[in-house]
Amino acid sequence: MSGIDEIQISVQNVAKRFESRDAGDSVTALAAVDLEIFRGEFLILLGPSGCGKSTLLNLMAGFLKPSSGVILHDGAVVAGPDRRRTVVFQEYALFPWMTVQENVEFGLKAQGISQRERRAVAGELLSIVRLSGFETRYPHEISGGMKQRAAIARAIAPNPEVLLMDEPFGALDAQTRVLLQEEVARISAETKKTIVFVTHSIDEAVFLGDRIVVMSSRPGRVRDIYPVALARPRVAAMRSEAPFRDLVDKLWTSLRPDWRAETGDIVQPA
Amino acid sequence: MTFTRSGGPLRKFAGIGLVLLIWQALATFDFINPFLLPPPSRLVVTFWDMLIDGSLLVHAASSLERVVVGFIVAAFAGTVLGVALGWWPAVSEQLMPIVEAVRPIPPIAWTPLAILWFGIGNAPSYFLVFIGAVFPVFVNTFAAVRGLDRTQINAALCLGAGPRLLITDIIIPASLPVIFPGLRIALGVGWMCVVAAELIAAQSGLGYLIQQSRMLLQTQVVLTGMITIGIIGFVMNAGMIWLERRLIPWKISGPQP
Repeated sequence: MSGIDEIQISVQNVAKRFESRDAGDSVTALAAVDLEIFRGEFLILLGPSGCGKSTLLNLMAGFLKPSSGVILHDGAVVAGPDRRRTVVFQEYALFPWMTVQENVEFGLKAQGISQRERRAVAGELLSIVRLSGFETRYPHEISGGMKQRAAIARAIAPNPEVLLMDEPFGALDAQTRVLLQEEVARISAETKKTIVFVTHSIDEAVFLGDRIVVMSSRPGRVRDIYPVALARPRVAAMRSEAPFRDLVDKLWTSLRPDWRAETGDIVQPA
Repeated sequence: MTFTRSGGPLRKFAGIGLVLLIWQALATFDFINPFLLPPPSRLVVTFWDMLIDGSLLVHAASSLERVVVGFIVAAFAGTVLGVALGWWPAVSEQLMPIVEAVRPIPPIAWTPLAILWFGIGNAPSYFLVFIGAVFPVFVNTFAAVRGLDRTQINAALCLGAGPRLLITDIIIPASLPVIFPGLRIALGVGWMCVVAAELIAAQSGLGYLIQQSRMLLQTQVVLTGMITIGIIGFVMNAGMIWLERRLIPWKISGPQP
C-alpha cells in the first residue's frame, strides 16, 4: 500500500481556551498540542475526563476553533465542519424525526444524490452494520446499540476520509460495547478509513488502536504515544494474551496518577 | 384518562347530560326566566332551524374563513420571526424589545385601529386574528430554536448540510414538537379574536350573529351562536391534536407493533 505513513491531519501547537466573562472561570482545555495523524491509521485519544480529548476531537471536526495554533487536513486549514471528516457522537445524535434509513441517507441528500442511489447506498451500509430490516424504524424504537450502529452507518455514508468517534460506546452496556468494538475493528479494516477514536477505556484503546495518544489533564496535553503491536484483524481472544495484557498494564501505570487526581478532586472539595 | 373501568366512552358524556337535564328542569319548573336563559329543548330547535335554513352555516363559514386566513398568515410570520430571532442573536437583540412591547397589548385593544385602517368587513378580522395568533406561534418557535440540540446541528453540518437543508430537514422538524402546541394555542386565540372582531367590525359571522340577535332580543339565537362557536373551537383543537400526532410520530413514546 502506498502512502501508509503519509500525514493526513496535522495538529500544530493547538491551544483551546474557553473564555468566561469572569476571567477566573475561563478554562484552558488544551495547551500546545502537537499531533500527526497518518492516513488509514486507527488513532486513539485516551485520558481521564477533563483532559481535553473531546475538545481536541471537536477541533478536528471543525465544531470549535483553536484559540491558537492550527489544524491541517491534507495541508489545508480546518475552518469548519466538512463531510470529509464525519463524527460519531457518544449520545448518537440521530435525527429522531427521520427513520433509520433517512438518517443514513442524510449526508447523501446533502450532496444532492438521487433518492434511488441514496436508498441503494444506505441499504448496503445498513447491512454492513447489521441493521437490515430496521430501515423504517425511528430511533426511539431501537436499542442504544442499534442507534450507535445506525449513527456509524450515517457517518460512513458520505464516504468521509476521516471518521471521528467521540466516546461512541460510552453510553452502552458492557456486552454491547464489546460487540460493537469488534464491529468497528471489522469496519475499519474493511473501509481502511482513518479513524480518530476518543475513549477513557484502556481496554477499548488497546483492542482498537494502531497508536494510543495518552493525554493528561489541566490543561490537556499529549503526554505519551504508544504504538500497539498487535496483529490485525483484532479478535476477542487477544484480550487474554500477554502482549495485550502487558500494554494494558503499562497504560494503567502511566495513567494512574491522573485518575488518582481525578477521584481526589471529587473526594476533597476545593 | 381510561374508560375501561365501566360504562365505556359514555361516561365521558354523563356529566354534560346531567347538566343539560338540570338546566331543562329548572326552566320547565319556572326557576329560571326562559328569556334570559332559554332551555336546551328550545336551543336544539333553534339550532336545527338555523341549520336547515342555512343561516348558521353561512355565518360559521364567514368566521372560519377569517380565522383560517389570519391564522395561516400568523403561523407563517410567527415561524419565520421565531426562527430568525432564535437562530441569530444579533437579530433578536434588535427586535426582541419591540416584540416584547407589542405582545402584552390584548388583540381587542387593536379593534379601533383595525376599523380605522381596514373599515368594516373581512380585513379587520384578518388583522385581529393575526395579532392574536402570531405571538403564541412566535414564542414557541423562538423557544424551540433556542433550545435546539447543538450536537444534532453539528451532526448535520459535518454530514455536509447547507443552510437550506439545515432549515428544512433539521431546524424545523427538530422544533416542531414545541412549535405545534404554539400553533394549537394560536388557532384557539385566533378563533376568540375573530368572534370579538365580528361583534364590532363585521356584517357577517358568528360574532355578528350574536350581536345582532342581542339587539333583536333573540336570546336563543345568541346562545345557539355561542354553542356553535364552542363546538367549532373544540373540533379545531381536536383536529390540531390529530395533526400533531400525524406529523410528529417520533414523539409518540414506546415501540410500535
